[in-house]
Amino acid sequence: MSEVVLSIRDLEKTYPGGVQAVRGVSFDVHQGESVAIIGSSGSGKSTVLRCINRLIEPTGGVIELGGTQINTPRANVNEIRSRIGMVFQSFELFAHLKVLENVTLGLRHVRGMSKSEADKVAMEVLERVDLLERVDAYPGNLSGGQKQRVAIARALAMKPEVILFDEPTSALDPELIGSVLKTIRGLADEGLTMIIVTHEINFARDVADRIVYLDKGLVAEEGPSSIINNPKTERMQRFLASMNEEH
Amino acid sequence: MNSRRVGVERIFSWSALDEKTRVGIIVSVFLLVAISPAVGQSIETGWDIAESGVDSNLNAAAVHGNETWVFGDGGVMLSSSDEGMTWSAMNSDTTADLISADSAYDSMAVLDSTGSVLMKQGLDADWTNIGSPGEGMVDLVLIGQNSLILVGVDGAIWRYSASNWQEIETQFTENLNDISFLDENNGIACGENGTLLFTTNGGISWNYREAPTGSSDSNLISVGYYNPYRLYAASSDGQILSSTTTSAQNWNLVEIESEGYNTSLDENLKSIEVVSASIILFAGPDNYLGVSLDGGNIVEHNIIPDGINTSFNDHAMIDYQKGIVVGNQGVILLTDSSGKNDLVGFEIPDYGNFGEFSEYADDMMLDGFKATVKIVGFGILFGFLIGVILAMFKTAPTNLKGLVEGRPNGIVRTLGGGLAAVGLYLFWEGVSGFSELGLDGIEYIFTPVGDPRGFAMFGLGIALTLLGLLFLSNNGKFSKIEIGRVTLNPWKIRPLNSIATLYTDFFRNTPLIVQFMFIHFGLSLGMEIQDAYESVFGDMGVDGFDYWLLGESAFISAIFTLGLNSGAYQCETIRGAIAAIPSGQMEAGRSIGLTYMGTMKLVIMPQAIRICIPPIGNEMVNLVLNSSLAMVIGYAELSRQGRLIIAVTFQIFWAWGMVMISYFVVTWTLALLLRRLEEKTKIPGLGISGGA
Repeated sequence: MSEVVLSIRDLEKTYPGGVQAVRGVSFDVHQGESVAIIGSSGSGKSTVLRCINRLIEPTGGVIELGGTQINTPRANVNEIRSRIGMVFQSFELFAHLKVLENVTLGLRHVRGMSKSEADKVAMEVLERVDLLERVDAYPGNLSGGQKQRVAIARALAMKPEVILFDEPTSALDPELIGSVLKTIRGLADEGLTMIIVTHEINFARDVADRIVYLDKGLVAEEGPSSIINNPKTERMQRFLASMNEEH
Repeated sequence: MNSRRVGVERIFSWSALDEKTRVGIIVSVFLLVAISPAVGQSIETGWDIAESGVDSNLNAAAVHGNETWVFGDGGVMLSSSDEGMTWSAMNSDTTADLISADSAYDSMAVLDSTGSVLMKQGLDADWTNIGSPGEGMVDLVLIGQNSLILVGVDGAIWRYSASNWQEIETQFTENLNDISFLDENNGIACGENGTLLFTTNGGISWNYREAPTGSSDSNLISVGYYNPYRLYAASSDGQILSSTTTSAQNWNLVEIESEGYNTSLDENLKSIEVVSASIILFAGPDNYLGVSLDGGNIVEHNIIPDGINTSFNDHAMIDYQKGIVVGNQGVILLTDSSGKNDLVGFEIPDYGNFGEFSEYADDMMLDGFKATVKIVGFGILFGFLIGVILAMFKTAPTNLKGLVEGRPNGIVRTLGGGLAAVGLYLFWEGVSGFSELGLDGIEYIFTPVGDPRGFAMFGLGIALTLLGLLFLSNNGKFSKIEIGRVTLNPWKIRPLNSIATLYTDFFRNTPLIVQFMFIHFGLSLGMEIQDAYESVFGDMGVDGFDYWLLGESAFISAIFTLGLNSGAYQCETIRGAIAAIPSGQMEAGRSIGLTYMGTMKLVIMPQAIRICIPPIGNEMVNLVLNSSLAMVIGYAELSRQGRLIIAVTFQIFWAWGMVMISYFVVTWTLALLLRRLEEKTKIPGLGISGGA
């Protein structure tokens, strides 16, 4: 097996007020692998994801990126984040910037590229997400699917070691989901390392190399994508059954 | 762009106005033109000519009991017992020119040009010659019934006491011109090259006082010591210096408002007479007499009676209104109104006609308009800057835990120990001064003004001590404190937020007009900044950009007050706009590796500012309207100009009407500009659309 890019050991997060959202989660992500985290609402999926790029400070456990622990107070959090891309459920595009500027912002102000260099990189990634014709539009004038693809391009442009997807299709109308899923699937095929928190069970099965099923802040079941067809634990069976009812 | 042309048309086109607006404008103009004139006044001299019966130059005057005395060239002595109306020549033992006189402690003394002093030691005593310490003496002052001090060239100071002349040795060698004493001990002398000498022991020893910036080369010709807090001096070329500190420690150059805030009267002066804490009379060659009722801010140029053309030398005041002034060729003038020009009430048609009125008022109104736009412009910039900074402070998430986290506990504790020690020291130093203030109970709320330095140390001391104790207690757990049912977590305190909150609470809970007066008169902020500028870059002169920007201390104080005040209000608006930006935007910015400040600058603020343009616009309009309060500190903006125009023309309706229209033009233009700005910066999908 290829080398481990991201390693999570005994991750814990207790929110102020005492809610234990994550209670000892461990898993590894290998180079070129895509991992889907599934689970019901409140199972700690998003918390795990946000702990990885330290938008949330974990209260316990170790997170290693490329073999180095990144959840120490001394670690340079901005440098770490620039190595981990993130795509949000509600896109979070910068409304006052055009599509191209959304993508180049990090390149210019974090990577320190000149405008022309950054534009060049941005055009490349926008081509990958098939949005070349909308580079001069403001986010407010894009459809939901286009917005999410811009957000993906924004994360991709930084050439991250791993990209985190936080329910990338949950805020989209059903007919727009397809284009985003296609884009993500394309990236997975290109061998990008990614972690996807998703409710799209079928998509998780198709795209992910591995499934991590979280329940009540713990890893309840973990394995290749085939486990979706044959869940071992009763909990995951019930969860999958409820998801199928919905669709 | 097409939309821009449409905007311009809408602003300036008569045809684009709706009917109501047009009728309103026509009615306003009609009312302005139709209102009939009020009464005007004319001005006459406040001085009367007294017949002196001599044509010698009269150099000095003094009030001695019920008599008024005048002394002149060739030993001339005149005396009047009816407050200066009629004069009779007195026998004089000398034919030398009498150049200076003083009267106090029931004694009177006069100095002649050879340095001899004649003295009347008592109201009914005869003149006796007490001799001369030498030539070159120019002024004398009595410091007791039988004692006096002379000053003269090359810094000479002689003291006469107990029938003995004693030369006072000082290291000062500039020529001295004038001397004035408050009582037997405290006195001031002035001379060439900005020399100011002060004594607290009856003239036995003298200390140098620094002349204010801009008058260190001036020939200080006359000085008056009215009370412990009011000293004035004048230079031969028209500067007025004042000191309001005990022992005349600090001197300021008066910015003469009636001379356009210049620091010189543009008249040569010979003598000043301080007759009350704020009334000063001025006399000079070239037929000049002047009076100021407010410590030199506004100096009225006295009208001189017809037929008088002289050089005025000295005043003698019986009280603060009645007195005389003497000059060359035997001129004696008397007044019962401090020399103020008399206003004689009869109707003059000048300003009754709106055309005549506006011809006079236009220029002043335009000056006021420019002055208002100037403070408003700078005030808005300054206020917005402060607002943005404070809003950033208020929203900054850094708390004490964040400051400490990740540093070894030992270092934090050591630092805490140090901070607590410094804090306790400051606290103790601050508190120990409070008892001297003589305050009682609730009066202690005034300690911040009674002992500002002590209070600052006290406050800082408490803060540092608590912070130090908190750091000392650090064990890496950052736990909260529970006292009974109350729990608080000091680690959650956000220092920047606390500072900003203190600031905004203070400025939003005190009246703006008081802030104006406190900052301008209390802190003398404008003057301090001018002095600082001049001490670094030298004299700013009276033209050029630096003078335009810093030449008026009231202007500096005004923009600071408006900016500091408006900043406190704008801060809340901007903070609200920042809060309105979804928290995901900060996460998104951070997720691509931007720092907190980087995300604020590149992502949050550009959106927040767009959102808050309408409310900030309101705040800016408020600032324009509030700027009218700058009149209380003597800044010549629109409202003050309105008052000045009324003072001259007595056309109250026209003047205030014009002021009102001028304000409307400023605020309306500003509102239109902001509306344009809002349209121009609008981004699809950001904020509520259709707001304009």
